[in-house]
Amino acid sequence: MVEVEKIREEARRLLQEGQVRGVIGYVRGPQGVWAVPAMIRNPEDVDRLVWNPTCVHNLVLFVVEEKKEQARQKEPDKRPLAVVVKGCDSRAINVLLQEKFIEREEVILLGVSCENSGVVDKKKLLNLVPSQKIEEIVYGNNGHIVAVIDGERRVFPPEEVLADRCLECQANFPVVYDHFFGEKIKKEAINTSPGVDKIEKMRLEERRRFWEEELSRCLRCYACRSVCPMCYCTECVVDPISFAVEPTTTAEEKAKKIKWIEKSPLLSENFVYHLVRAIHLAGRCVDCGECERVCPEDIPIRLLNKKLEREAWRLFNYVAGMDSQAPSLFSTFKETDPEDFIR
Amino acid sequence: MNSEHEPKIVAFLCKWCSSAGSDMAGVSRLEYPSNVIPITVMCSGSVSPLYILSAFNLGADGVLVSGCHPGDCHYIKGNMYARRRMALLKELLPYIGLEPERFQMSWVSAAEGLKFTQIIKEFVKQLKPLGPQTQLRRSL
Amino acid sequence: MEKVLKKSDLGQWVARLKDFDLYGPVRENNHWEFNQISQLANFPEDYTQVNVPLKKILLPNREVLFQFEDNRNGGPYLQEVLPEEREVVVFGVRPCDARGIVLLEKVFSSEIPDIYFERRRQQVYVVGLSCYPLPGENCFCLSLGGGPFSTKGMDILLTKMQSKYFVEVLTPKGEKLIKAAPEYFFNPTDKDQQERQQLERKARAMFTRQIEGVEKIWPVLSQMFESPLWREESYRCLKCGICTYLCPTCHCFDITDEISSTAPLQGKRVRVWDTCQFPDFTMHSSGHNPRPDKASRLRQRIMHKFLYFVETFGDIMCTGCGRCVSKCPVGIDIIDILNKVASHGA
Repeated sequence: MVEVEKIREEARRLLQEGQVRGVIGYVRGPQGVWAVPAMIRNPEDVDRLVWNPTCVHNLVLFVVEEKKEQARQKEPDKRPLAVVVKGCDSRAINVLLQEKFIEREEVILLGVSCENSGVVDKKKLLNLVPSQKIEEIVYGNNGHIVAVIDGERRVFPPEEVLADRCLECQANFPVVYDHFFGEKIKKEAINTSPGVDKIEKMRLEERRRFWEEELSRCLRCYACRSVCPMCYCTECVVDPISFAVEPTTTAEEKAKKIKWIEKSPLLSENFVYHLVRAIHLAGRCVDCGECERVCPEDIPIRLLNKKLEREAWRLFNYVAGMDSQAPSLFSTFKETDPEDFIR
Repeated sequence: MNSEHEPKIVAFLCKWCSSAGSDMAGVSRLEYPSNVIPITVMCSGSVSPLYILSAFNLGADGVLVSGCHPGDCHYIKGNMYARRRMALLKELLPYIGLEPERFQMSWVSAAEGLKFTQIIKEFVKQLKPLGPQTQLRRSL
Repeated sequence: MEKVLKKSDLGQWVARLKDFDLYGPVRENNHWEFNQISQLANFPEDYTQVNVPLKKILLPNREVLFQFEDNRNGGPYLQEVLPEEREVVVFGVRPCDARGIVLLEKVFSSEIPDIYFERRRQQVYVVGLSCYPLPGENCFCLSLGGGPFSTKGMDILLTKMQSKYFVEVLTPKGEKLIKAAPEYFFNPTDKDQQERQQLERKARAMFTRQIEGVEKIWPVLSQMFESPLWREESYRCLKCGICTYLCPTCHCFDITDEISSTAPLQGKRVRVWDTCQFPDFTMHSSGHNPRPDKASRLRQRIMHKFLYFVETFGDIMCTGCGRCVSKCPVGIDIIDILNKVASHGA
């Protein structure tokens, strides 16, 4: 069992000794039990830190944001950041290290194990207990989730309430960390991706229809992009204007900027946006599943990333984020890479 | 299916091999269908998947990426990087319902004018029965 | 005019509305959406609230304004494009969303009317559904002068009772809809009246979320431009567009040209949704961004709704639907923030 008191102790020590400029962790949000990300800067605030099955967010996003924020400062605070990471989040750290976006000494990783459970899918839980007041959600035994609802304890088996990504996860503890909390329990994934299997079994027209239905709902709110720690580009192909514009950028340079994708949420544009995003995340996506969780239109975005995850493994024996020293998927090749598709 | 449809193919040809190969086809007076719009790039490794998706988005019925044979890359290994990237894109496109024939890759050297014409002929033949590509095509 | 309609007759009445395009709540994956429907037998028991509010029809996320063509001989040629002529009835609109229309009207139908919005507004018939029980856990319309039985912005308000719908016909447009099948509508009895009043009382007592003293907010806000509150509350913001895209009153847009052919130059000028929460919303072409961080963007969202709009139009630009609270992926809670603002003034 992960003891939250131990996480707090470590966070307090780091802050008191001035080793870190802050601790990025989970705190109880304004809407009852649901945890939200927060930056703790003062030792007296560490008691706000929580660890429970509602800690869904991938906090590595805030490491990326802090990095960008510090780059804008005239006198950046060079002390490292402490950040609470789950298994999937820690692999995101590895990808950032691999890509040299951050250096190892910039972060102190408080690794937490999901043990043999994972995080709760709010939508699934609310479908089971609609409109009831949930007072607390904690880990039970054997990966079960315990929710206290109107004073009453209810135990849910993992497959009923855990997020799909957790049910499909095979690496439920951090692969890189400085401090570790909990136990490393290797758990068997139920299926690495039943969703991808389902689509692969469809005929071509069915797949097209499936994706047309899903992607036609896309509002282009870009929540999937905004929540992704891997989407750290300063300039995205879908942005109508360029962030790379500086006061010294000439009018000619601006005029030459290519508008790759229209801003309108037309089906064709939605397709191109999501495909570009998927391919850009190939070999980088650690399947933290945040893109799918945040989508207000319930578009199964993970199915795109999972497909490429599967192919990267099948074709190149590559898994994202396992080793920060190994070359990334697209920055290397093998002589023996498959080329039977090339004429 | 519309058998009268004349498919439009966007071909990204590397400057050193495939583009020279297409020139070879021209100077050798080899005939091949005029459906192809060649875009010379410095290396097949410089072709971003975005270019390919954008070509489909702007109305291509098929996209070809062609580079030097393995070992012949002017930049030593650009084509090997391309091979990895395109392998994944090749899997992704049919996954969302696009006919696999619409995206192809080839190795064509500067001497292989004949191979270039054969690839284009074959590509056009495969695309014709499929009709126009509408899935990724922008229609305003 | 007040009527009652037997529950079993709803489908019959809707079937008579053949001249209209009908929209109603349809279940999609995990949420509800206003989609085109061919019939409506009843409102499902688990229908809560649609994801994208009615502005999806009134202020679509892509509105073509005109087409253009650069004809070499005749010079540039423009052609106005107006929304297609079709009358639309939307069923199951919750009071908060209907009130959203009234607020949108203040922007788009005031001094300089927006012809696209006006045309769509004229063509839309709003058949509301009152809220008992409350559709969402973050409903707070009561704090903002609305209510679970509010009729603002509606043509008809339906209230689901034991065996009947209580039908409040509010406008001539509403009367037109009733006239399509007058035989199904009866005058309410005293008992019906009582049942409806009782439901409203019960619904009003159900609210768990509220803003204490909403009238205190705007004078306090005007003093809070530099408050550290914005930085604290926005730290976890993702810069996505969910809160504003799903808001029934947010209406900011971008205008862009979409080119369909370069020779000859042909294309359309379109209006698409945009949001103050995107970092590039205020980006100048010089590269300067006057709202450079999340704090200033969150402040803008709150200030626009609870201060600037009040100053310009005399009303709060929020109807308390609770979507931005429920749908925010990182739990940014406008109710919580407003209560903190109100306490600053105390």
